[in-house]
Amino acid sequence: MNYFDQLSKAMETVAQHPRAVFMGQAVEYPGTAMFNTLKNVPKEKKLELPVAEDMQMGMAIGMSLNGELPICIYPRINFLLLAINQLVLHLDKLPLYSDWKPKVIIRTAIATDKPMNPGHQHLGDYTLGLRYMLSTVRIRKLINPGDIVRTYQQAMEDDSSYLIVENMAYYGMT
Amino acid sequence: MMLQSVNSLQTEWTVEKLQEFERDIADVFNAGKIRAPVHLSGGNEQQLIDIFKNVGKNDWVFTTWRSHYHCLLKGVPPHELKYDIVSGKSITLNYPKYRILSSAIVGGILPIALGVAWSIKRHCIKEHVWVFVGDMTARTGIFNECGRYALGHDLPVTIVVEDNGLSVCTPTLDVWDEKENETIYVEDYEYYEYDLKSHWPHAGAGKRVQF
Repeated sequence: MNYFDQLSKAMETVAQHPRAVFMGQAVEYPGTAMFNTLKNVPKEKKLELPVAEDMQMGMAIGMSLNGELPICIYPRINFLLLAINQLVLHLDKLPLYSDWKPKVIIRTAIATDKPMNPGHQHLGDYTLGLRYMLSTVRIRKLINPGDIVRTYQQAMEDDSSYLIVENMAYYGMT
Repeated sequence: MMLQSVNSLQTEWTVEKLQEFERDIADVFNAGKIRAPVHLSGGNEQQLIDIFKNVGKNDWVFTTWRSHYHCLLKGVPPHELKYDIVSGKSITLNYPKYRILSSAIVGGILPIALGVAWSIKRHCIKEHVWVFVGDMTARTGIFNECGRYALGHDLPVTIVVEDNGLSVCTPTLDVWDEKENETIYVEDYEYYEYDLKSHWPHAGAGKRVQF
């Protein structure tokens, strides 16, 4: 299976969790490449949200505190920057300043400039900057197709939150 | 966003007892025994006592950096709360056991509360979420987004706007160039006004403390 198919398989694997919720824009409605990796996720496990990135991340935190397993999806890492408040100051820091232990799996992607170049605002890899800001959230970059399902399984089983970054340039890679 | 008629958790709390707790904390702070910021409450005792008559034991309370009263009224034992405040946690008091979550970031609690409320509704649980924010927060983008989502989806959450007219020392209405609450639709939320300034400053207890 290629990179893209492995992503689809990983989503099916996570969807088996009884309280998994796939949330974000373009999870129930088409519009991004990621949407096609969610086709086999049951509809009742999807939550299409308005474009409100920081609200989305905060909601994921709250849902996890009540027992859900949110898979919080940002189609591009550029859009995740709009959720830095909830990501860095709440999801990452709550376990440090309190006994609350939120657990969220964040899925995002680095865009590619081929075959179309979306320009500076939609390109770029901000993973290193996020590594400097995050203390408790674990970061994983998906490079090898064979690691994708295992990475999501680890994210499901671990107590920590995970930020999992895929690269759209690899979607066709086997 | 309906108010629940549930029960009072701490009917023994009175205005005088709440004030007495804060005066005790102020004395400890002024004695230089708390090496962290402290935000004291004052002037809103009766309003909060009345609101908490509707807060159930299994309800969730989301609050801010000024949360001593909220914690007491939700059921945190005073000695436990005082210990945590003296330990330096006044601005981020959190008690999973009592379902209290606070954040020292403006508006930070709002979407988290929304997520809890969404989950409660999804599973048809008879619990309610209460969110306490100030008048400046009530004019932020995140407040607008979360209020709109909660109303649209009829989530079991009540947002309480606690209006003391100030954000730190900045007059809220002046900086938004408002004469009164023109830009927040207070009928959609619980709302009360109070006067903190004549009781305590924004931070500390009124004395310059040297460590």
